[in-house]
Amino acid sequence: MQKFINQPDDLARELLEGFAQVHAGKVRVTDGLVVRTEPKPSGKVALVTLGGSGHEPALSGFVGEGMLDISVAGDIFAAPGAARVLDALRAVDNPAGTLLVILNHDGDMLSGNMALEMAAEEHLNVRSVVTCEDVSGGPRSEPANRRGLVGCIFVYKVAGAAAEQGRSLEEVAAIAQRMADNSATLAVAASGATHPQSGQALGSVPTGEMIIGMGQHGEAGGGQQALASADQTAALMIDVLLADLEAKPGDRLALVINGTGATTLMEQYIVWRAAAAVCAERGIEVVRGACGEYLTVQEQAGFQMFVARLDDELIELWDAPANTPNWTVR
Amino acid sequence: MAQDKSYQAWLDMLNAAQAQIADNEEQLGALDAHAGDGDHGASMNRAMGAVQEAIAGMQGEGVEELLKKVSGNLLRIDAGAIGPLLGTLFRGLAKGAAEGKGLNAGGLADMFRAGLDALRGQTKAQPGDKTLMDALVPAVEAMEGAAASGANARSTLAQAADAAAAGAAATTDQVAKYGRARNLGEQSKGAADPGATSLSLMLRGFADAVRDLLDDDDDPETPNA
Repeated sequence: MQKFINQPDDLARELLEGFAQVHAGKVRVTDGLVVRTEPKPSGKVALVTLGGSGHEPALSGFVGEGMLDISVAGDIFAAPGAARVLDALRAVDNPAGTLLVILNHDGDMLSGNMALEMAAEEHLNVRSVVTCEDVSGGPRSEPANRRGLVGCIFVYKVAGAAAEQGRSLEEVAAIAQRMADNSATLAVAASGATHPQSGQALGSVPTGEMIIGMGQHGEAGGGQQALASADQTAALMIDVLLADLEAKPGDRLALVINGTGATTLMEQYIVWRAAAAVCAERGIEVVRGACGEYLTVQEQAGFQMFVARLDDELIELWDAPANTPNWTVR
Repeated sequence: MAQDKSYQAWLDMLNAAQAQIADNEEQLGALDAHAGDGDHGASMNRAMGAVQEAIAGMQGEGVEELLKKVSGNLLRIDAGAIGPLLGTLFRGLAKGAAEGKGLNAGGLADMFRAGLDALRGQTKAQPGDKTLMDALVPAVEAMEGAAASGANARSTLAQAADAAAAGAAATTDQVAKYGRARNLGEQSKGAADPGATSLSLMLRGFADAVRDLLDDDDDPETPNA
């Protein structure tokens, strides 16, 4: 393993220390929770999420105005404990209520659901939305088999914007759910990653091959095939995503290429442009887009292609101000 | 059996479970590496550390309080699914202790049944799905069988540990239905489930501790059970 680290057990704590110091104007770490430096005004719905570390900048990079109030960061690739999620729900408790966004992974779901039960026992006003947009996990009719990938970030974006506008918990939850329901992601890997604590190789990919459907811990999800060009790979993947969304001519989409660690921005832009071209051929309008590293898998080469069908309201919320370490709209 | 002996037994059981996990940390990591991310040994060590902190914070309040503290600490660690699952199991054990279940065959069977019921509130995993349920369910059934046949606590825990070990070993040929290994499908065969293995190790520790602590006077057979 060729990584610049110290003691394996200290990774999560040390990375959060550095992260909070770099972004001191926006976030701070209090009792292991990543919170906003300037708390959201009381009376607005709070947004909380949880997840393992090692996927930087996700998830804590999206704490700030217009997005998350608290990110409960776990250890490397390991969900935080339910009691710590409850700490976060208590910390943001306010009359407007709280939305907890949970990515569909077994550890996150167990901790998140237990925290919800404990919060209910304390009469905290909390609702939850689960993101499960990985199309390689199974058909849309089986959401439990679909993992939550990079799509969570755009749920934070639109739900966070709605919360800032002072919308009710019911409305914020409905917006988050609508975004989640209209999202689809497919991942491809051209190399595996290394677990930075155990040194274990995660999901090796033979030279000259790629694996489509690889999750965010290097889990295999299907299709190993010969490494293809950017245009060919993009065409293959966008085809699956558009079919999953049942996208029709006239639909308006967001298209995001999320690099997973070792795929350059150069490659991401080339892939983005190829996928957008396929949409254009089919009369589907790509109205918003992004390329970059939002949710990574250590040094894995590859990317997650994310699409979401947007309506007027979701576009307005997508464009609303946000001021977080890794997503800013002015 | 006197209440203080029961408390001492649980302290010994938890310590012995930790020793079993520590002795097998590398093996647990290797099992997890087959279809997961190889950190199960480290996660279990962290879980056992949380158990030790619970023990250190005790002032002899009794078995129920001990198991509650263990549960609370396990729910606080960052170890993926392991924290919630073991935390829930111990919450169920504490509930059993709160109902006055003692360290005898029937009491142990009732406590572990309560632990299993609590877990079923959190996961739909069944035996055969390649999870810790493959060790826990046969262990609880073995305890209930032992209790029905009038066994003592030592024999009950020994039978439970054997059943859990057999259940964990049988997961080698199973296809994972939960966790990251699920995504590997058929490739998840060929190694035992790490969670089932660590649970069977903990039960082995429980059994060894009680065997070493109790004698026939402390731990009579219960023919009237």
